[in-house]
Amino acid sequence: MSAIDDYLDDLADELGGRVRGVRGILDETADHLRESAGAGVAEGLSTEDAERRAVERFGSPKLVARRLAAGHGSFAPIAVLTQLALALVLIAGIGLVGIGASGAVARGMGSVFGKAFVSADTNGVTYTAARCADFREYHPEARSCEAAAIAHHFDEVVNYRLAAGILGVAVLFGWWFVRRRGWGWPAAADAIPHGFGATVGAALFGVAAIGLLGQSLGPMVIGGDSLGTGQYLSGGVVAALIATGFGLNLLRILRVRAA
Amino acid sequence: MNRQQLKGHLDVLLLAVVADGPAHGYAVIAQLRDRSEGAFDLPEGTVYPALHRLERMGLLRSDWADVGGRRRRVYRITSKGSTALAAGETEWRAFATGMGAVLGAPA
Repeated sequence: MSAIDDYLDDLADELGGRVRGVRGILDETADHLRESAGAGVAEGLSTEDAERRAVERFGSPKLVARRLAAGHGSFAPIAVLTQLALALVLIAGIGLVGIGASGAVARGMGSVFGKAFVSADTNGVTYTAARCADFREYHPEARSCEAAAIAHHFDEVVNYRLAAGILGVAVLFGWWFVRRRGWGWPAAADAIPHGFGATVGAALFGVAAIGLLGQSLGPMVIGGDSLGTGQYLSGGVVAALIATGFGLNLLRILRVRAA
Repeated sequence: MNRQQLKGHLDVLLLAVVADGPAHGYAVIAQLRDRSEGAFDLPEGTVYPALHRLERMGLLRSDWADVGGRRRRVYRITSKGSTALAAGETEWRAFATGMGAVLGAPA
């Protein structure tokens, strides 16, 4: 297939079949590209090089489709709400997967530094006899009520977070599936500003990272007490990584826009 | 002129080119480049959304022609487009005169 045919296929794919007049857009684009390639051949380029130059000059199909779709699309408020919902679902999915990842990090911390580092209660916490019996039921191998409590809380920290991670994977798969089918991405592709998701994600996870890292490092730095800080530290590290990812994506978007 | 500055004037430029005679998108882009002596060399794909927008606004209209077995969309300026172009030209001349006066350069 020629570069022009490939480009037209990519453009059709990006338009998603939900833009009114898409056939006209593709015909007009094909006419332009073939005329541009013809001019290249007249200048002495090979057909392949002329077609490649033509599509390069035309611009990325994603960007062209976004701009074309912005004007040809569905009722704007619906487009705004739909795209907002999808952006927030994506952020929520990433957050849930992040929680899952922090569960794995917490498990690793427990292996290296001991479970008490992750899930010990703060000094002064005591348990009733009934509560101790519950803990020992889950962990009969524990030598003390406190050890059983630490083990039980550790399991909760790790397992609940891993379950959230699995839910997050399902959410992200659902998001991908909806986007792939074009159900939720109305033709008004610019209904919300490009970079909205990255901005919200960077802000949300950045604040979460600051809070969680403060919660974990504060007691260690001020009181020299590291018991139980791992549950916050594991979350803070993962949140910081996610915030960094969103931040780098936002920088890339801003750089492309400024170009 | 950088792209952000050009964006604000693109509609008037496109109307001015089409006002000279019906043209398809490729010809509009080429004329814009030639008449500006290369100053306005836009990413080609970004001109079509502007042309479509002008058509939706009623400032241009388009018809399909068959050229060598290809469908070609040809744009023409409407009377509403001519009015908008005249207004745009007046606004630009006033702006250019004012800039020239402040900068001490010819308008």
